[in-house]
Amino acid sequence: MALIEVEEAVKEYPLEKTVAPALGGVSCSVGGGERVCLMGPSGSGKSTLLNVIGGIDKLTGGRVRIDGRDLAGLSDSALSAFRNRTMGFVFQSFNLIPVLSVFENVEYPLLLGSMGRRERKERVMELLARVGLADFAARGPEKLSGGQRQRVAIARALVTGPRLVLADEPTAALDHATGAAVMKLMVEMNEKAGATLVFATHDPAVSAYAGRIIRMMDGRIVSDGPA
Amino acid sequence: MSRLFLLAWRNVVRQRRRTLFALASLIVGLAGLVVFQGYISRTMAGFRDSTIHGGLGHLQIAATEKYYAEGEFNPFAFALPDAAGLARSIASIRGVTAVFPSTGFTAIAGFGDKSVTLLVKGYPSERMRFGTAADRAIDPDTFDLGPLSSGSEIAVGDRNGIVLGDTAARILGARPGDVVTLMAILPDGGLEGRDFTVKGTYAGPGRDRIFAFTDYDSAMDFTHQTAPPLLHIFLDNAEFAGPLAGELAPKGAVRTWRDLATYYVQVNSMFRGFLDVIRAIILIITLFVLGNAMNRIVFERMAEWGTLRAMGTTRRDLLVLLLFEGLLIGVVGAVVGIGAGFGVSGLLDLFGGIPFSDGGSRFLIKVVPDPGSA
Repeated sequence: MALIEVEEAVKEYPLEKTVAPALGGVSCSVGGGERVCLMGPSGSGKSTLLNVIGGIDKLTGGRVRIDGRDLAGLSDSALSAFRNRTMGFVFQSFNLIPVLSVFENVEYPLLLGSMGRRERKERVMELLARVGLADFAARGPEKLSGGQRQRVAIARALVTGPRLVLADEPTAALDHATGAAVMKLMVEMNEKAGATLVFATHDPAVSAYAGRIIRMMDGRIVSDGPA
Repeated sequence: MSRLFLLAWRNVVRQRRRTLFALASLIVGLAGLVVFQGYISRTMAGFRDSTIHGGLGHLQIAATEKYYAEGEFNPFAFALPDAAGLARSIASIRGVTAVFPSTGFTAIAGFGDKSVTLLVKGYPSERMRFGTAADRAIDPDTFDLGPLSSGSEIAVGDRNGIVLGDTAARILGARPGDVVTLMAILPDGGLEGRDFTVKGTYAGPGRDRIFAFTDYDSAMDFTHQTAPPLLHIFLDNAEFAGPLAGELAPKGAVRTWRDLATYYVQVNSMFRGFLDVIRAIILIITLFVLGNAMNRIVFERMAEWGTLRAMGTTRRDLLVLLLFEGLLIGVVGAVVGIGAGFGVSGLLDLFGGIPFSDGGSRFLIKVVPDPGSA
């Protein structure tokens, strides 16, 4: 069974007198452990597709199943808990919580679960060590470089041991070398942790890290195949 | 829940600029309300006290209800039997600080070829004060009958002295030291005349044409009265007037200062309506600025809410987080704002208070809120 199943996904954003179509009947499936790149220009619908897969946006029509569960059938609390256990998110602009330290940012998803304090600390420090930021645990996000912030975001995305990591333009705010380092780290995490990685980009150099590329245009998939 | 409270605490403490903006609007608004409330409260308390000390007392007791309708300057039909015994028994009640009689009569005052009709009030000399405009501090248990323009007050023991209003004195052409002749009709139809020495003149726009004051003993002697028509009662707390009035009801016709001060009640009511509007405006402005600050707290952090949601935070938890932040800012802002209000009020009082003009005189009004004001 595929980890992600998207069936005829339609997403429309209501405007004043009309609607803006963002997804026009998208269907695809992604298996466990895959590394998939959603590629396309701005406005092609790749971020929207990531959001509906992550349950952040609700579909106007169609269906999204993650690990066999239809997201539309889950209550807010059930969906939130499911997201916490199953998914990790990496954003283009890092989205670290500014009032929390590096340690606290990575710890936050674990606080929503039931893990004990000592175990939590060990887990967070293990992840920070894996992204090379163990020495930065007490710092505030504002004292980190862009690359470091994204590495914290990756550690945060992986700290709960999710089966699926969704990354929206994870290198767009970084220079080429830092972006490459971040992608290598994500690939390494994908390979070592076995988490399915779905990331969106419009940069061909970044798409090279994927095993499969889904190309999108105007809210539709125009091609789907190996990188 | 503690996780959310901790996060709210960190948001409030670490986002200093945002927090300070929200706190500042709350503190300034609340402090303004406290100072304003204090100013009004003390203004009304001052107005209440000047009304009570302007010739009413906290309570009055007469022989019959009719006295209050027609007896003030025709006291002959309303003598209070055993006034001295009644005064003694009332004076022994806890909370009563003074009990004393008064009377009044109508007379024609003549000086040279000029004459004027006067309503003369007779109070015990030690209960009459004529403060100057610069010094109108109200002595406890005395009437403050208006600032003295010339001459002096009637000293204790002085007989047949009179304090005229400025306008009456000007009409007569009389000055302190001059002797005016008062003519009054007695109950038996006889005409009584007596010379009174002008001790001083007072300023009282609207009333200094008609009202004059003499000492109680001279008034009683001049009008051949043997019992006063009225007793005035001073209390250590104005709020005690109502309950004591009920207690004294079997002994005579009792009126509280509030019953008698129709002008005060009307002005107080009008003033309070006006002030309620100003208070509401201050409150609305404060709420608007605070609402704007809280709005910024919500809308500036849309990405943060999205991130928290993505990590598994429920909508309910986000709401609780915002409520905690609002609660922390609200509690701190309320405590500091009210404290600042009292602090500013105290500081203003230290420099004398806020200037207030009643048209003729300029006062400084204290602003520390007075919970006992009317």
